Amino acid sequence: MRAFSSFILLASIVPTVLSVKTQDFKTCSQAGFCRRGRALATRASESATSWKSPYSIDPNTVFIAPNQASFTASVKSSLYPAISFGLDVRVHDDGVVRVRMDEVNGLGKRYDEAASWALIAEPKISSSIQWKVGKKDVRAIYGKGVEVVIEFEPLKVTLLKNGQEEIVLNGRGLLHMEHFRKKEEPKLAVEAEVPEEGLNADDAQKVVKLENPRAWFEGESEDAYWEESFSSWTDTKPKGPQSLFIDVTFPNHGHVYGIPQHASTLDLRTTTGEDPYYSDPYRLYNADTFEYLADSTMSLYGSIPLMHAHSTDSTVGVFNAIGSETWVDISHPTPKSTETYWISESGILDIFLMPGPTPKDVFAQYSSLTGTQALPADWAIGYHQCRWNYISSEDIRTVQKKFDEADMPVDVFWLDIEYAEDHKYFIWDKKNFPDPVDMINDVQDTSRKMVIIIDPHLKRVSSYPVYQEAVERNVLVKQKDGTSEYEGWCWSGSSAWVDFFNPASWDWWKTLFKTHSLGDGKFSWVESTENVYIWNDMNEPAIFNGPEISMPRDNIHYGGWEHRDVHNINGMLFSNLTSQAVMERSTPYKRPFVLTRSFYAGSQRFGAMWTGDNLGTWEHMAVGIKMVLANSIAGFAFSGSDVGGFFGNPEPEMLVRWYHVGAFSPFFRAHAHIDTKRREPFLLDEPYKSIVKDILRLRYSMLPIWYTAFRESSVTGLPVVRPHYVVFPKDEGGFSIDDQFFVGGSGILVKPVTEKGVTEASVYIPEDEVYYDYFSQHAYRSAAKGKNITVPAALHQLPLLIRGGSILPTRERPRRSSTLMKQDPFTLRVALDKTGFNARGELYLDDGTTYSHQEGQFVWKEFKSEKQSKNVIKISSHDLGSEKPTEAVDGVALTTYDGGNAFAKSISSVRVEKLVVLGVASKPKGVKLGGKELEWEYTPGVGAQESKKEGIASVLVIKDPKVAITTDWEISIQL
Amino acid sequence: MLPLLLLLIPIPALAVDQTFGVPPHLLSKYIPSSSANTPTWSCLDGSKQISWSAVNDDYCDCPDGSDEPGTGACPNTQFYCQNKGHIGSLIPSSRVRDGLCEPQCCDGSDELPGVCPNVCEEVGKVYREQQEAQRKLRKTGSKIRSTYIAFAQKEKARIEAEILASTKEIAEREKEVARLRDIVERAESLSAAELEKKKESPLYQSLVEHSFALKSLQREHKKHLEREKALGDILDSLRTGYNPNYQDMAVLEAVRGWEQLAGLPHINDVKKDEEGSSEEDESSDAESEPEEELEPGMWSAGQLDYQLDSLLNTDYESLLLEHEKHIGASTSQSPLFDISAYLPESVLPQYEQFRDSFVSWLETFGIAKGNSPTGGSENSRTKQAYHDAEHSLSLAIQEREKAEQSLSRLFEPTWFGTQGEWKKLEGTCLEKDTGEYTYEVCLFDEARQKPNRGGSTFSLGRFTSWNDAPGVEVGSPEYYSKQYYKRGAKCWNGPERSVVLVLSCGLENAIHTVQELEKCEYQFTGTTPALCLPPDSTDPKRDEL
Repeated sequence: MRAFSSFILLASIVPTVLSVKTQDFKTCSQAGFCRRGRALATRASESATSWKSPYSIDPNTVFIAPNQASFTASVKSSLYPAISFGLDVRVHDDGVVRVRMDEVNGLGKRYDEAASWALIAEPKISSSIQWKVGKKDVRAIYGKGVEVVIEFEPLKVTLLKNGQEEIVLNGRGLLHMEHFRKKEEPKLAVEAEVPEEGLNADDAQKVVKLENPRAWFEGESEDAYWEESFSSWTDTKPKGPQSLFIDVTFPNHGHVYGIPQHASTLDLRTTTGEDPYYSDPYRLYNADTFEYLADSTMSLYGSIPLMHAHSTDSTVGVFNAIGSETWVDISHPTPKSTETYWISESGILDIFLMPGPTPKDVFAQYSSLTGTQALPADWAIGYHQCRWNYISSEDIRTVQKKFDEADMPVDVFWLDIEYAEDHKYFIWDKKNFPDPVDMINDVQDTSRKMVIIIDPHLKRVSSYPVYQEAVERNVLVKQKDGTSEYEGWCWSGSSAWVDFFNPASWDWWKTLFKTHSLGDGKFSWVESTENVYIWNDMNEPAIFNGPEISMPRDNIHYGGWEHRDVHNINGMLFSNLTSQAVMERSTPYKRPFVLTRSFYAGSQRFGAMWTGDNLGTWEHMAVGIKMVLANSIAGFAFSGSDVGGFFGNPEPEMLVRWYHVGAFSPFFRAHAHIDTKRREPFLLDEPYKSIVKDILRLRYSMLPIWYTAFRESSVTGLPVVRPHYVVFPKDEGGFSIDDQFFVGGSGILVKPVTEKGVTEASVYIPEDEVYYDYFSQHAYRSAAKGKNITVPAALHQLPLLIRGGSILPTRERPRRSSTLMKQDPFTLRVALDKTGFNARGELYLDDGTTYSHQEGQFVWKEFKSEKQSKNVIKISSHDLGSEKPTEAVDGVALTTYDGGNAFAKSISSVRVEKLVVLGVASKPKGVKLGGKELEWEYTPGVGAQESKKEGIASVLVIKDPKVAITTDWEISIQL
Repeated sequence: MLPLLLLLIPIPALAVDQTFGVPPHLLSKYIPSSSANTPTWSCLDGSKQISWSAVNDDYCDCPDGSDEPGTGACPNTQFYCQNKGHIGSLIPSSRVRDGLCEPQCCDGSDELPGVCPNVCEEVGKVYREQQEAQRKLRKTGSKIRSTYIAFAQKEKARIEAEILASTKEIAEREKEVARLRDIVERAESLSAAELEKKKESPLYQSLVEHSFALKSLQREHKKHLEREKALGDILDSLRTGYNPNYQDMAVLEAVRGWEQLAGLPHINDVKKDEEGSSEEDESSDAESEPEEELEPGMWSAGQLDYQLDSLLNTDYESLLLEHEKHIGASTSQSPLFDISAYLPESVLPQYEQFRDSFVSWLETFGIAKGNSPTGGSENSRTKQAYHDAEHSLSLAIQEREKAEQSLSRLFEPTWFGTQGEWKKLEGTCLEKDTGEYTYEVCLFDEARQKPNRGGSTFSLGRFTSWNDAPGVEVGSPEYYSKQYYKRGAKCWNGPERSVVLVLSCGLENAIHTVQELEKCEYQFTGTTPALCLPPDSTDPKRDEL
């Protein structure tokens, strides 16, 4: 009995200690518009076949622009004949269809600027489209069998491929744009609520029903139209209801991905329909969700309203450019189809339909809209050491010294909020940081950097120049009256927030980061150097005493827009401006590094993100991988989760495994909460310490692979870490896999262990190809349909495989930081494919810090292994820069490339010191470079071409061919 | 020889002399075996034979990495810089040819020729100057240290004398106690029977019961007071130290509730218009609330604190006897005076003689009362004198024990050191003002955090030991370089506070830095002459470069 009751006690305590305060955040039923949206969908499904969307196109208004660029028409709702809406459909030259609808000449103006913040530029309209206007529809066929059809009554937009429906808007008739209206006198409502004498409640309802002919669609009552309360906060809604509901159906796609950020699986789960996995829709409302749940649709810090729909034959995408809170319901009416339903609080309809047909195409189409991942500075993909907080300049120096004593590589030391006096960012706490510039220079002495936090809340004291200047410029967010400064509570106590929607804030914000004096008495960060980069946290914005730990929705931004309209975009503007500030403080410009917690579609252009304040648990470690993959496919490739977990004290085993996860995340940072024990890797006991040292060194040895993957991502939009469906879109067995992934196009497949006490792991191999263990060179085989193999995975081991047919460039000399590796030689791992001859790989290098690569200052090589003749394997290096100059660099289409550019010259003495060829069929008779015999060593083992054979592969090590990495060369292996 | 591909220009060899980077003690192993046509060399672990030209050719051949002592091509090996004009040193291979000039390699040999200048002359000079300065510091410091040692010697003499004196005093006091005990026992045996009977009085029984009840109440009351204080401390520390990152409105409410209850001002610098002002109102209401009126004769809280103990120390037996006297219920005389009635005539004269002398003797000591009206309670006074004597004795014994302990710790390595050099610093309090707080450590006693802007002082722990980390030899300089103060006040949502005091040789006893590296775990660094060993007594190899 006692044991039982103490169990109950534990069970009731533990969740409250270690989990989010769910009551701080809304469920769908606590948000008026979500309640209305879901109720509408329920009414529709209950009336099934008789349901018909009230929205239709007036055929008389159909207009095709003279240059065929777009099609416009007037849309009416049968519910409100007096209200009119305008529809605009256009096709971009890459085949993306943009569908826009807004209320015309209404009582108010819906927010229509979300796309302008997300898009990198106004898209080019296709000039080759031919619209065909019919009696019941307008259609256009273009490209390879792609067709867009706009039906008039009811309004329905369909994207078809080869006659098959790919994406359907309003196919279920759930589209609803709540028009602006005047608040009605409460008379009717009072009658409805208070039945007259003699009438019972049912009768009263009947009366109302009779009086409201729109109830079949909109519902009986005006649910939370004009005001709504949550906990102790009341949201006044001066503009009344202005929600937007739209159903998006993928009749032939059984898997959907995207709409980050949620702590959930990559393959999105059902939230409605029969027996849904989650009860609440996926929520997009940027929020500081403290100690979030590891499996939930709750909204987190960032939102990207992008969704991929995928099947074995096709991949399509939908980008819903909306900045207000949005909930997304998902169901699979059949395993091969998907219905989604997007419920937004405000804003116009502005949806981009991406026709694919492959994942690669969807990435290209999406990045043509919102841009690609900015190519980071090379050091930024090294290891970052963070803690809340390194408490003094001496602390930073000591931590750096300990890393060096342990001979563990690290590139960046971070300072969290406690460096700032009273949390006035930019202003040093001189008691603990008496010599900030000296400290920064001491870090720079080993070619390392510092990242320092700048949060968006400004302490409201007149002695704080940043706040004072913001007041003078009148660039702070306003209360609902539109004129008084909004005041909330955050780290700095009573605080105000810069309104980055206000253009007047932009140049001013950039001046703050200048490291020299401006000479006009205005603040600039003279107590910093160009070796300092920035961390933007709390930019959802997080406000401790605000509704859902954020800003009241009726606050007013520049242009009179309510906070509700722009909430999800707000965080992106902060990192956007900060990243410009950091770039522009240097002459010539240097690549900025800005880490952001909050983000939106397009944020990838401004830096890196992390998954926020995770917990030191195995569940959070595991879901972190899925979250990084979800962000990656939504364009934000430079992502990671805090190694070790922000909260809690991970046991050494967990920490080791977490370093494996981190070392294979695009962004690799260890971080810890102020209440945790110190856990810098040099503090670990053996054997953990040595294992982590090896992991850090593994990451550093593979930095050339990561950097090459980042180049590709920055040009093509393909993610740096790629889930199975992206690499093998036809392999159904991989569609739901999100615990293993590929690194760029390198052929590296990794499955970090995220469970305690594991000694082996099962890895899914999706194709009939040989895969080699990175460390043991064990050759594994699979089948055309895919197969699970078992690999050793004790604590010191990592399931890391090389796909047969890959060539990996690495730098194997351990250094203290990445910058110190720049003159180190390369090792090439040539993993022969099952033919026993073929493999390929790439290497991209540039100066890693400036934009000189946009002027052709880079080296881009392709390595190839192929069959030269029956008994000769030829391994060669040739220049991709001169072969494909237009594809080399993001944002610039170079016409020529000079292999002898200054950067290439600066690394002309960097050589290939070693080739390791895996799977060579037999002991070579000779290995030659330009006719000259090289030194080599052959260890017999399994040959790549031995189709069924598994075991340790044969290894041919070619010693120091003394070839420069910048030049073209050929090595032949005589079998 | 010429490469076929025109673009193929071989990278210039970065090979260097085969013994480059080899530490002196291994030089003898870096010799080629010339038995074959081309000279060969064996990896140091014997695992592989390679050509002599492969040594230091900037390619790692040996599994143990021994073939590249001078290029950094093999990970996890070491490189030796000769540093002519200074002292040679070993650096990790990860720092060889990385583009940075290592401070440990003043000759610049860690980088390719031409990258790093040879600065050994200057570095050596600075080093020697530093060594000299260090030596002087030690010398001066060790003089102060020797005064500490001398102090310990004096202390030894003083304490020994103290023990001697205590021992003498104890002997005297023991005699005194024995004598008084004898008297009290006799007196008590005389009245014991009567007393037992009187104790049956319901009044007495009730009194005793009240007394027990009062004692129990007092115990409970004290427990509650302690509990309340502890709760107050917890709430104070919550109020001053709570972590807004938890963004926890429940905590904020708790803080506000406590401020209102305790009449404290609001800690946050947020003054929200309505809430802030209304709270201030409420708290001032709480302060101005009039004290509860007491019934006449009731005790105030202050009286309870100070007077209850003395009330509970009342000797009820004596009171009983006094009570008898007061109400005049007892007519019988003390058996001492009545005893003659029971004695045979023949012994009467001797008895009376004895009685007279005994009583007068008792009277002299104020133990028995004569027939004077002011007599009071003889029993009580006898007992009091006896208890006082016993108390003095135990104090004396305690004092001697303390002195003996002091003596035993004086030259105990785990306390004041084999030479007693730390004795002088016992109880010396060192302070460091960090702005918000002043940190204090009273050596061998307690460390504290005292807020400078008001609020409660927290104990950061009491002295528990010197550096007892594994591998540290008791009594070594390293052993005395750290003191641990543990089990301080518990942190809200954290551990018990603790301090590591890291000490080094210096002319002053002082704390120089205070850092809270982890929540509630402090590191103080400080100096003391007690660690300044005479320069010649330390191994020069221990000195850092």
